[in-house]
Amino acid sequence: MAQMPALIPKEVEIQRLKKIWLMILALGSIAASVEVDNFVDGSLHQTSIRDSAFTPAHWWLYSHFIALPLGWSACAMYDRKVPILRGPNNSINTGLKMTILGYLATMFTIGINEMWHFWFVEEIFSVPNHWMFNMGVVVAFMGALAYVVRIYARLIELGAETPGENPYIAEMYKMALEGKLYSRTIP
Amino acid sequence: MTLPKGFGSGGGGGTGSADVERMIGKRVENMSGFITLAYLAAWGATFGGTAAGYFYYPWAYPTNSGHFAFIVLTIIESIGYIFCIKVMQEGSNKNSNRLVAGVLAFTAVGTLYISMYVGF
Repeated sequence: MAQMPALIPKEVEIQRLKKIWLMILALGSIAASVEVDNFVDGSLHQTSIRDSAFTPAHWWLYSHFIALPLGWSACAMYDRKVPILRGPNNSINTGLKMTILGYLATMFTIGINEMWHFWFVEEIFSVPNHWMFNMGVVVAFMGALAYVVRIYARLIELGAETPGENPYIAEMYKMALEGKLYSRTIP
Repeated sequence: MTLPKGFGSGGGGGTGSADVERMIGKRVENMSGFITLAYLAAWGATFGGTAAGYFYYPWAYPTNSGHFAFIVLTIIESIGYIFCIKVMQEGSNKNSNRLVAGVLAFTAVGTLYISMYVGF
């Protein structure tokens, strides 16, 4: 495994990586909460076809879809303090970029969804205005996984965490460290 | 090692321990209180969220379903809480095992109480 150049003291980097990890766990809890409300809101819509944007189940859902992109953006601001996490051409980390874009998609879909329901008073799960909610969350989860694995791989390289014994897992960490978890050509 | 502007001795010397401490700020092993508050907030929000379901829409989201979700999520959150504290304190001489045990006992009793007596 290629040793990445250390641009900040090792102890500082470990502390910062762990702080990012805490932020990610908090944001992951919010994402889990969205999944619970998916069932609460889904249960409600099975009985009352379309209510309004302002129901407790919708407050819960929509506030999280605003909190998630803002929270991940805060994570991106702190992320700049760890040089190893930079993306191609010193840009934002690709996984983090995917996560923020995915959740931004869900945030904007709140408005799209309300416009749709203004004209079509139904609440079928598979209508097109709901697609971007689900696709956005999936894209965000994919990006977050790449980002988390890369952080963990760096903690292993710095000696703060124990490497996985499973060779396939070890290979995944190696790929993540080189920025090639999903693509060998696009870091 | 090159340090950011404002750190180090102006180009001549290396990284001093005081510089490292300044760059770190609050150390993660000292964040047990913050992590504990975040866990309790998440647990309370989980109760609030499921309660919103069975108090506002009891015909759509039965109390039993809410409590089932609440119990499962409390277990997941507790694992995350232990994980956070242990990872942040590994490699240091800090130890918050008693705090973790106390908080987990509190949420376990609270979860049982809520699941048996609230919302029916």
